[in-house]
Amino acid sequence: MENIQIPWLTAMISLPLIAALAIPVIPDKEGKKVRLYALGVGIVDLVLMVYAFWYNYNLETTELQLTETYNWIPQLGVSWSVGVDGLSMPLIILSGLISTLAILASWQVTHRPKLFYFLVLVLYSAQIGVFAAQDLLLFFLMWEIELVPVYLLISIWGGKKRLYAATKFILYTALASIFILVAGLALAFYGGEFTLNLTELSLKEYPLALEVLAYAGFFIAFGVKLPVFPLHTWLPDAHSQASAPISMILAGVLLKMGGYGLIRFNIEMLPHGHIQFAPLLIVLGVVNIVYGALAAFGQTNLKRRLASSSISHMGFVLIGIASFTDLGINGAVLQMVSHGLIAAALFFLSGVVYDRTHTLMMDEMGGIAQEMPKTFAMFTAGAMASLALPGMSGFVAELSIFLGVSTSDVYSQSFRVGIIFLTAVGLIITPIYLLSMLREVFYGQKNPQLKLDGFSVDAKPREIYITAALLVPIIALGLYPKLVTNTYDVKTIEVTTKVREALSVMAEQQGNNLNVNLLSSQQSSAMIAPHIPG
Amino acid sequence: MDFSSNIAAQLNAGIILPEGIVILTLMVILVGDLIVGRNSARWLPYVAIAGLLTSIVALYFQWDTPDPDAFLGAFSGDNLSIVFRGIIALSTAVTIPMTIRYIQQSGTSLAEFIGIMLTATLGGMFLSGANELVMIFISLEMLSISSYLMTGYMKRDPRSNEAALKYLLIGASSSAIFLYGVSLLYGLSGGETNLNAIAATIPDVTGGQSLGLAIALVFVIAGIAFKISAVPFHQWTPDVYEGSPTPVVAFLSVGSKAAGFALAIRMLVTAFALVSEQWHFIFTALAILSMVLGNVVALAQTSMKRMLAYSSIAQAGFVMIGLIAGTDAGYSSMIFYLLVYLFMNLGAFTCVILFALRTGTDQISEYAGLYHKDPAITLCLSICLLSLGGIPPLAGFFGKIYLFWAGWQAGMYGLVLLGLVTSVVSIYYYIRVVKMMVVKEPQEMSESVKNYPEINWTLPGMRPMQVGLIISVIATSLAGILSNPLFTLTTDSVTSTPILQSAAVVQELPTDQMEISDNF
Repeated sequence: MENIQIPWLTAMISLPLIAALAIPVIPDKEGKKVRLYALGVGIVDLVLMVYAFWYNYNLETTELQLTETYNWIPQLGVSWSVGVDGLSMPLIILSGLISTLAILASWQVTHRPKLFYFLVLVLYSAQIGVFAAQDLLLFFLMWEIELVPVYLLISIWGGKKRLYAATKFILYTALASIFILVAGLALAFYGGEFTLNLTELSLKEYPLALEVLAYAGFFIAFGVKLPVFPLHTWLPDAHSQASAPISMILAGVLLKMGGYGLIRFNIEMLPHGHIQFAPLLIVLGVVNIVYGALAAFGQTNLKRRLASSSISHMGFVLIGIASFTDLGINGAVLQMVSHGLIAAALFFLSGVVYDRTHTLMMDEMGGIAQEMPKTFAMFTAGAMASLALPGMSGFVAELSIFLGVSTSDVYSQSFRVGIIFLTAVGLIITPIYLLSMLREVFYGQKNPQLKLDGFSVDAKPREIYITAALLVPIIALGLYPKLVTNTYDVKTIEVTTKVREALSVMAEQQGNNLNVNLLSSQQSSAMIAPHIPG
Repeated sequence: MDFSSNIAAQLNAGIILPEGIVILTLMVILVGDLIVGRNSARWLPYVAIAGLLTSIVALYFQWDTPDPDAFLGAFSGDNLSIVFRGIIALSTAVTIPMTIRYIQQSGTSLAEFIGIMLTATLGGMFLSGANELVMIFISLEMLSISSYLMTGYMKRDPRSNEAALKYLLIGASSSAIFLYGVSLLYGLSGGETNLNAIAATIPDVTGGQSLGLAIALVFVIAGIAFKISAVPFHQWTPDVYEGSPTPVVAFLSVGSKAAGFALAIRMLVTAFALVSEQWHFIFTALAILSMVLGNVVALAQTSMKRMLAYSSIAQAGFVMIGLIAGTDAGYSSMIFYLLVYLFMNLGAFTCVILFALRTGTDQISEYAGLYHKDPAITLCLSICLLSLGGIPPLAGFFGKIYLFWAGWQAGMYGLVLLGLVTSVVSIYYYIRVVKMMVVKEPQEMSESVKNYPEINWTLPGMRPMQVGLIISVIATSLAGILSNPLFTLTTDSVTSTPILQSAAVVQELPTDQMEISDNF
């Protein structure tokens, strides 16, 4: 329709990166100008996003919007191809918001400020790039670009065991990300024509064996990022060792890249593989929820407890994705957005507490509420959101995932009951560890050994502002979830329809060839009408 | 009259014009040094660089030359050889700026060193186009003997002497083995020395498979693998790299290797087309061993030069993926990778030289905290190392992606997977150096960094080094993102080279073989 298009997405992706390149020449020793500059860039980019999506994004369609495609390396078939749909749009805004707030949160970084803000801005670009990329290799490139900044951000500005945590992070993520490339190339080369475009890849038909293998590959890659139970061990280290602003980005945005990848690649491209793996996803989701909650219970370090609770909450995303209902997938996306906000708020507040107490060990704290009432109030609000109190976004997300999986007609009654029961166990542990965290840190008598920094004990306006910027959307989404769900409703319905179609085809095939191996039943698919009453 | 013009046409000596320019430069340097004496060191290196660049320009004008065969078919100036000769000349042109200061600081004669290096370059350039057994052997020896000389150039340094002796002994024996293989080839083909003629006669003479051809293949590969330092013919690499002057290592790791790969492509594709299955098998084994051993052993190194030695072994393993793929994309990915490898490796070596010149050490632990004293070198070395590790958006990432892409296209899933896994291993040891430089706090600085001299770019010989470094780093940062022209260049050179085209037809895999389920 429009002949001359403004390259909104390219601008969004490249602005922080280009701005970052100018940082070394800013004449500034103490980091005061650099932080203002970085914050300005962050805000401008966020405004750019909101403006572009407000005026140019159509909520009614599932098509990719604001698309741009430029030939990049035609010999490899790589193009600079970006676009957004309901799935990526909220996540892009989330990353813009969290990254900008993280820059504001790192106001006290006086140690090598130029390098710090340079890396944060590069990270900013890479995040948006991951969510906007519509070309497999471009996606992979953006995915990999984010590695080195995070590595350096953890290993220079992190806690005591920062080098160990950073190395673990980069090895886990780099090793896992090769599966994206391998599985992606396998799909791209399959069949006659070679393509790297994500939409075209999802339109191709693959044999089941290939789908299963590629699904497994993508699942490992995104599972490390999300994280999924046996692949999660990097997360508590990385999140607890990183400084508070970086933890905000890690927990707020980077984990969501895993969930986004699962929906974009695993479900959209490989619906048949998804059907094979969905029960496993649900089981792993439940393990995540219960294991994460139990692990959080056992942590004495404030940030490690929050990190383990992230593992627990990401389990819901897995269950929602595997529920085969639009309610479930809808909930999964909402859970990603909501957890992004909540985790960022909690990690930020733990940073606020750490700035005063200089410890993260909860047994060394206690009774801080007397001196830091505002921080206490905000921390409580964040914890309540995290335990899914009604009226907060977490509640809506988890509820719709529950509804989705319990109304799903794909799984047997007993399976569903078992799942709900076990998940409920996790839901019971969650308030216990969150409330006990509040008790240990804030309630009771003040620990006489604990010295709070005198400069300004309670939260300062800047800190209150950051928390408010995160808590307001949390409550708004809790009260009126349509604010964000209507951006991706049509998209999740489309995704669900696609998976269910694949499911019905497979169900009939299995009905017809009860004794025949699934692999060989592929040939008969042409004869069967792809329809089953839902 | 008629006879002589006929001879002239057959000689077609214009094809070696680029080499002629290098020879002329070499003479100017030798004679200039003789007449002017030591003062000539001020301008001689620039003459050498100018000569090499002129030679590259001459190569450019020979692109797509209608009649590439020169000297009765002994030398071929096809586009493939042009690209490789360009890579070798360019690598020397980038290496010379870093030698000036290094050699002068060591108090030896610069003109001789540059003379030897140009001879080695000449050998490499002739080797890239050599199409005849005698020509191949002579240019190979020309390259090797000058390399031995350069390795032992620091006469008073026992480590340099040790390296030279080791290199000479192993090199001489590998040359002998190579020569033996070549002589078998000569015999099997009934007395042909031209590679194309050998390729044409061998099927008739041997009647398909023959043990003699297989033995010749093994011996020839031993010679080639020594040049590209593929495992298990790599034993010399770490010791030689550690002992010899660093600029020489830079040349050996880029120019000499590129020449080895040029020889590998030309000989294997033409003379050994009949046993292509066998040489693919052998090279697969070499690639696997090189990638695994190079990357894993590099993890344990404490000396920067030894680490780069093992890293160069591993990089050769990656490049071999393109050779084994044997498709158009495979060959051009190989050339592309060598091109970007040139810049990133030479950039890394320039930084290592700069650091060694200022502190006198090559230990990785001595780099601790360099960021606080010399952010410029830290940045350049980090970019080059991260690019070698394949971190986007640097050139190395695109090079590796292209290699793996081509490998996957050719159906070598296992090899590509291994390449990916080992390149993750390589990220660990490259980033270890970056971590050492960037992450360490001022109080954790090493002794050498604490005593770091003031950065002074105005010392004689430092400016060219700075220029060379900046060019390398810029190329490393941008050659990936703006890789389109380079891709076009490499693809063109492969698709317009007849020997590769006839081979690619044999190699072309039917698409139905690319079913994943069959191969996984």
